[in-house]
Amino acid sequence: MSKRVWNPPVTPSGEEATTAWRSVGEKEGSKSFRNVLEREFPQGDALTEEEQGVSRRNFTKLMGASTALAGLGLVSCRRPESYIVPYKKAPEWIIPGKPLFYASTRPVAGGAVPLVVTTHEGRPTKLEPNPDHPDSAGTCAQTQASVLDLYSPSRSQKILKAGKEATQSELKEALAALDLSKTALVFGEDDSPTRNRLAKGLAGKGATLISYEAVSGEPLQKGISHLVDFSKASRILSLDCDFLSTDPVGNSREYSKKRQGGNAEYDQKDDVDADKMNRLYQVETQFSLTGGLADHRLRVAPSRVAVVAAAIAQAFGLGGADASAEDKEAFFPGADDAAKTFKEWVEACKADLEKAGANALVLAGSRQSKEVKQFAAAINAKLKSTAIKPVKTDLGQYGSLADLTAKLESGEVKNVIFMTPSNPVFDADGFAAALDKAEVSIHWGLRNDATSWACDWHVPAAHYLESWSDARSETGVLSLIQPLILPLYGGITEIDFLHVLGGGNFAKGEFFPAMGEVKTTFAEITGKSDDESWRVALMEGFAADTSYSAGQLDAGSPTFTASPAPSIENLEVVFATDASILDGRFIDNAWLQESPDPITKLTWDNAAQISPQTAKDLGIYERVVSLEPNTPLMKVGGKVKVSKRYETGEGEGNHSPMILLKVNERELKVPVLIAYGHADNAITLPVGYGQAADDERAGSVAFDQKTPAVGHVGKNTGFNAYHLRTLETPYFATGAKIETTDEDYPVALTQEHNSMYGRAIAREISTDTLKGKGTFAEQKKKVKKQGMDSHAPPNISLYKPEGSDNWSKTELAAKTHLADEVHQWGMAIDLNTCTGCNACLVACQAENNIPVVGKDQVAMGREMHWIRMDRYFASQEYKYEGGHKVKDESGNKIENPAWVTQNPESIPQPVACVQCEMAPCETVCPVNATVHTEEGLNSMAYNRCIGTRYCANNCPYKARRFNFFDYNKRNPLIKGNLYKGPLGEKQVGEAPSLQRNPNVTVRMRGVMEKCTYCVQRLESAKIKQKQQVKVNTYSSGKKSYEVKVDRIADLRVKKDSVKTACQDACPTSAISFGNLLENDSKVVRAKGNVLDSVKIIKGDDYEEVPGSPRNYDLLQYINTRPRTSYLARVKNPNPDMPDSKYLGQATINIH
Amino acid sequence: MANFFPRWTNLLPLKVAVCLGALGAGVVAGITYYATPEAQRVGYQPTQPIHFDHSIHVGQNGMDCRYCHSFVEHSGHANVPSANTCWNCHEHVKKGSPKLAGLRSAMAVDENHVPLKDSAGNLLKGEPIQWVRVHKAPDYVYFNHSAHLNRGISCISCHGDVQNMEKVHHAESHSMGWCLDCHRAPEKHLRPLEEVYNLDYDPIEYLKENAVIDSEGLIVGKGEQITEPEQFGKFLRAHWGVQPKESCATCHR
Repeated sequence: MSKRVWNPPVTPSGEEATTAWRSVGEKEGSKSFRNVLEREFPQGDALTEEEQGVSRRNFTKLMGASTALAGLGLVSCRRPESYIVPYKKAPEWIIPGKPLFYASTRPVAGGAVPLVVTTHEGRPTKLEPNPDHPDSAGTCAQTQASVLDLYSPSRSQKILKAGKEATQSELKEALAALDLSKTALVFGEDDSPTRNRLAKGLAGKGATLISYEAVSGEPLQKGISHLVDFSKASRILSLDCDFLSTDPVGNSREYSKKRQGGNAEYDQKDDVDADKMNRLYQVETQFSLTGGLADHRLRVAPSRVAVVAAAIAQAFGLGGADASAEDKEAFFPGADDAAKTFKEWVEACKADLEKAGANALVLAGSRQSKEVKQFAAAINAKLKSTAIKPVKTDLGQYGSLADLTAKLESGEVKNVIFMTPSNPVFDADGFAAALDKAEVSIHWGLRNDATSWACDWHVPAAHYLESWSDARSETGVLSLIQPLILPLYGGITEIDFLHVLGGGNFAKGEFFPAMGEVKTTFAEITGKSDDESWRVALMEGFAADTSYSAGQLDAGSPTFTASPAPSIENLEVVFATDASILDGRFIDNAWLQESPDPITKLTWDNAAQISPQTAKDLGIYERVVSLEPNTPLMKVGGKVKVSKRYETGEGEGNHSPMILLKVNERELKVPVLIAYGHADNAITLPVGYGQAADDERAGSVAFDQKTPAVGHVGKNTGFNAYHLRTLETPYFATGAKIETTDEDYPVALTQEHNSMYGRAIAREISTDTLKGKGTFAEQKKKVKKQGMDSHAPPNISLYKPEGSDNWSKTELAAKTHLADEVHQWGMAIDLNTCTGCNACLVACQAENNIPVVGKDQVAMGREMHWIRMDRYFASQEYKYEGGHKVKDESGNKIENPAWVTQNPESIPQPVACVQCEMAPCETVCPVNATVHTEEGLNSMAYNRCIGTRYCANNCPYKARRFNFFDYNKRNPLIKGNLYKGPLGEKQVGEAPSLQRNPNVTVRMRGVMEKCTYCVQRLESAKIKQKQQVKVNTYSSGKKSYEVKVDRIADLRVKKDSVKTACQDACPTSAISFGNLLENDSKVVRAKGNVLDSVKIIKGDDYEEVPGSPRNYDLLQYINTRPRTSYLARVKNPNPDMPDSKYLGQATINIH
Repeated sequence: MANFFPRWTNLLPLKVAVCLGALGAGVVAGITYYATPEAQRVGYQPTQPIHFDHSIHVGQNGMDCRYCHSFVEHSGHANVPSANTCWNCHEHVKKGSPKLAGLRSAMAVDENHVPLKDSAGNLLKGEPIQWVRVHKAPDYVYFNHSAHLNRGISCISCHGDVQNMEKVHHAESHSMGWCLDCHRAPEKHLRPLEEVYNLDYDPIEYLKENAVIDSEGLIVGKGEQITEPEQFGKFLRAHWGVQPKESCATCHR
C-alpha cells in the first residue's frame, strides 16, 4: 500500500489562470468566508467558553429535575388505542397504500406544463412531467411547488362582498344582474380553448375581453406567436431572451439534446461532437440561467440590447445602425480598441449565423422593445430560419390592460371581472385609480391579494388540481386539466364561473358543468364526440394531432433611433421577473420563497443587483465588503469578539447596505447585492415582493389586518419594485439614480453555505483548441485529471476481492462487504446541460417531505434542501500563456482587460449526497444510524439518529442537513417562535401535512437527514418486480416450487424504469440514474462502470464500459468513491470571437 | 458511654444494601422483561366495534383471507374491508342479528334493512366502522405486505393462527429482532405460493402429496425428492433466490 500524503490542496500549475468564486466575500478573501470553510457546522451552534460553562451546569440541573419527573409520567403508560377506518363504500380504483397517477396539465402564460399527478388516497402529492406528451420538457420549480399552493392555508376560502362573507346564490344574482355589454373580463395569458369559447360567447353579448399578466411583453403582432424548434437550431442568438427560465420559449429538452452534440443518450464513442453541438450567443443585462449556459455572453444595459441588435442587423444589411463609440467603450471596457473588438464580435456572430443559414435562430426577449423583436424577425426571415415559425393563437387577440384603462375612463366599461393570476392593483401602475371608476368589480383568484380587496366581490378560485379545464401547450396541443380532488376550500373553477356568467348553474354534488364544457370543446376541436376518445384523451392528458395552425407574421420594419447611453448619473433599472415567485403570484409559497435565487442565491427577499464596477463607482463596494460578517474563529479559552449578530441574536448573518433608488420620479429603499457579470450602469430589481409588511420597512405596502394582502408566508418579504415601474417603462426604466444610505438590511444568502474545501469541483472544457490544454479531444481525455486529481495516488479499494493481498480466508471477512448482485445504484449529473434552475431542488422537497426553515434560519446556514444548488463564477483575471502567468518586467502579474475579468462565466452545480462507497460519515456514527446498504446507498435510519452531528462534520461534500428545530411541527416563519420549544406556535393549519409523501418519514428535531436516491421509489420498484414474478409463476401453469426464479433476470428492476424525483423533474435531462450493473443503462453509458465494487460483483462477467470521458468524481483524491459523478461542461466558443480564448476554462479551483 | 446503637443495627447497612440491590435488580429485570414488544404487544386483544369472528369466517366457512383483505398482495397495506364488503353477504345472511348492529348503522339501515332517513326525509349516509388497530408498526417502519406474500411468506407467520381466533389478538412480538430473525433465516417460513393463504398448511402433508424434486441439486442430491420440511424451506429459498435484506433502508426511509 502506498503511503498517502495529505497535503493541503494547492492549485496545480497550469490551472491557476482561472479565478473562481461564489460571493463577494470569497472573491475578496474575507475572513468570514474562511470561517465558513473551516467551521464544522453552520453558524450559531458553537458556544463561547462562557456560555458552555453555564449551559453545562444548567444541563445537569435540568436533567436531575426531569429524571425525577419522569417517574411521575410513567404512571399513565398505557397503550393508546388507535383505529383503522376503512371506506364505507370503497371507491373504484383506490387501493389503500398505493398511489394513483393521473394525467393533467398546469396552465402557464403562453403554454402549459403537461403533468402526471401522483395521488395518495385522493390527495395529490407530487407532480411529474407527462413523458407521452409531445411538448413534455420536465417541470420548472414553480410547477413543482404549485402542489403546495393547493393546500396553502392562506388560500382564500370565502366569497366576499365588500369584505363580508356572502353566499353562492348572492353571487349568482350579482352575476346575473351584470350588464355584459358594459363588462370586461381580464384573463391570464395561458391559452385555454374552453375558456376562449365561453369568453367568445360572452363577447357575443357585448363583453370586452382582456388578457393581462404583469411580466409578459407585447407580441409583435396580436394573435401570432412563435414556435421554436431547438432541434433545428445550431446557432442561436438570444437578444435578452431567458428562454430556459423566466421567459420560456421552445422545448428545453430539445435544446439540451442539441447541446450534447449528438450524445444526449451517451451512446457516441467520441462523446460530444463539436460539429453537432449548438452555439448560443447571449446579449443580456444580468446573468440569466440561459446566459450561464451561453457560449458567448455580452453584458449590456437593457436599452443597449437594441443597439447591439441594430449593429448585427446592419452587418446583415437589414438597416439598423452601428453602435456609437461610447457604447462600444461600455461594451468592452479596458479593451485596447473597443470599436475593433465590438466589430469583431458582431462580424463573427453574423458570419456564424449566416453559415448556419436555415439552422440559425434569433430570439428576442418577450419583454424587450419592439425594435429588438423586429430586428430578430428580420434576421430570421433573411436566413430563412426553419427553427422558428409563426402560428395563430386565439388568446393573443384579446385587448390589453391599457385598453381596459381607457375604456374604464371613457365609461365604455363599467364592470370588471378579474380572472388573471396577476394582481393588477398591485403590479400595474395607476390601475387602482382606473378601477375606482368601475361600478361592479369582481375578483376571482386563489389569494386575497390587493386586487381582491380593491374589488367589490371576491370569488375563491379552485386550484388547477381541483379544476376541469384545458390548455394549449406551446405547440398548441390540446391538453386536458382534470380535477384530482374536490375543491378543498370551496373554490370555484374558472370554467364554472364563466358558465354561470353565461347563465348556467354552479357545480353541485355530482354535477360539474365545467366537465361538460371541456368535453364539448374537445369534441369541437378533435371532431370526436364519442366517450372512448374522451376517455383516452383524459388518460393520456392530451388530444393527439392537435396543434396551432401556421400563421403569417408581419413584423414591420424597425424604426430605430439610439437612446442616450446609460452612465453613472443615468442608470437603467430592469424590472426583472423573479426566478422564484415570478410576478409575485407565488409570494405565499414557502418552497419557492426559500429556494435560493439561481444567480444571487438570495432567499425570502429581493434586492437590487449591480455590477462590481458600478458598485465601486458609487462607493457601495467597500461597504458591502465591510459588512461581511467578521467573527474570528471560535477558540477555546479566548474571549470571542462578537460581530453583528443576526436578528435572533444567534449566529452572525449577512447584511447588505440599503440604497435609495430614484427613478421615474419615485424612490425606493432596497438592499443591494453585488452581481458578477452584470452590465455596468444598470440595476436589476426583481418584482413581486413587498406586497405587505408590518415591520415598518419602507418600500413595501403596509400590512392591514382587515385586508391582509398576503398570508403568513409572504408577509415581510422583500421590497415593492412595482412602485418604481410605470406603464411607459414596463420592462426597464432609464434615468435612475442611486444614493447610498447608512442603513443595512439582513439578507439570507445561501451562496457561502456548505462550501466545499477542494479542487476542480465543477469542470469545464472547450471545443476550441486552448493554449496549454490542447484540442477538444485532448481536453476531454484530461477531464478526470483536472485539479488535485492530476497527482493523487491511485485509489485503494477496501473491497477485498478473493486472491488479493488483503483477502482473508475466514467466512466473516469474505462477507465484510455485502453486495447485491441485482442492483447497484448510481447517478451522473451532466453539467453541460444543467442550467441551475432549482427544479430538482423543489422536486426533492416535495418528494422527501423537506421542511421550510424560514429566513432567520436560512441566514444561519440551516436550510434543509437536500440538493444544494451551487453557482460558481469564474474568469481569467491574469494574462496567461503556455501554462504560466505572464509577468511584466517588475515581476507583477498582468491583469486581463476589464471586459474579460468583469464578464465571468457561471457554472451551476447541484450537489446532494453522492453516496460514497467509502463514506466518511458512516465510520463516525456512534449508533450506526447511517450505514451502507447492499445496493450501494448510504442509508439514514432517522429513528436511530441521536443527533451527534459527527457525520455532517465528517462529510467532505457537506451534503448532510440537521433538524436544529422541529421545523415540521412549529411555525418557523414567526420571529423567535422556534426558540420557544413546545410553547411555540404550531404550523398554520393541518392542510399542508396532506401534501406529505406517506412513504417518507417526517423528521423531527435533532435528526440528521440527507439524500438517499429516493430510496422509497427504489424499494417500491423492487417490490413491484416481485409481484411480477408471482404473476409470471402463476401464468406458467406450473406449481410454484417448480418455477425457478433467477435473481438477475427476474428480480432486477426494468432498465431505466425507476427515476429519482430530481431526475424526473429536470427540464434538461441533466441527471441520469440507474443500475450500474446493467451495461446498457443510461447511467452506465454516461459514467461508465469502472468501479471496483462493480468489478467484484460481476466477477468474470465484468465487461468494462468506459462511459463519457467527461465523467469525473467530486473530490476524487480523498478516495470516498462517490456513486454520483459529474460530467464536465463543454463550451463551444466561436474561435473568431474576441473572447473565445478566455472561455471553456472555468474549472473551479476554490481554496 | 453506653452503646448508642442497639446490637441489631450492626447488620442494618448490609440489609439495606442487599434490599436495595434486590430492588434494583428487580426493576432492571422487570423493565428488561416488561418493556419489550414480547410483553407489551403479544396477547393484546382489544374489543372491536363488531364482534367479527375469524374462526367462523375462515375456520368454519373457509373464506380466503383475500376476500376481505383484498389488496394485501398488491399493496403495502393489508386493507381492512370496507363496510360494503361485509354487506355483500350480510345483506342476506344473519339479517337482523344484534351482533351486526354496527354494520347496519354504517350502512344506514334499520333491522329490516330499510334505509334510515333523517327528520327531513333525506337518506342518511352512515359512518364508517372504526376498527381497533391490533397490529401497529411504528411510523418509521415501512412494512410491505405484498413483498412478503408474493414471495411465499404466509399470513400465519406474523399474525398467528387467525383461522382459530374468535377474537383477534397480537400473536407475535413484531419487534425488530423478530423481523431480523426471519430475514436471516426465511427458510423456516417459506411455503409454496399456492399455500400462502392456506392457514392449515402442513409441509409434511404437502410433501407427501407433491413430489418435489431438487432437479439442480440445490439442497439434496441432484434429481432427488425432498421429504423434510426443513429441506423444503431451504430448497424454496435457493430455488426462488430469496435473499431478504438486512440493511436499514429496507424498512426505514
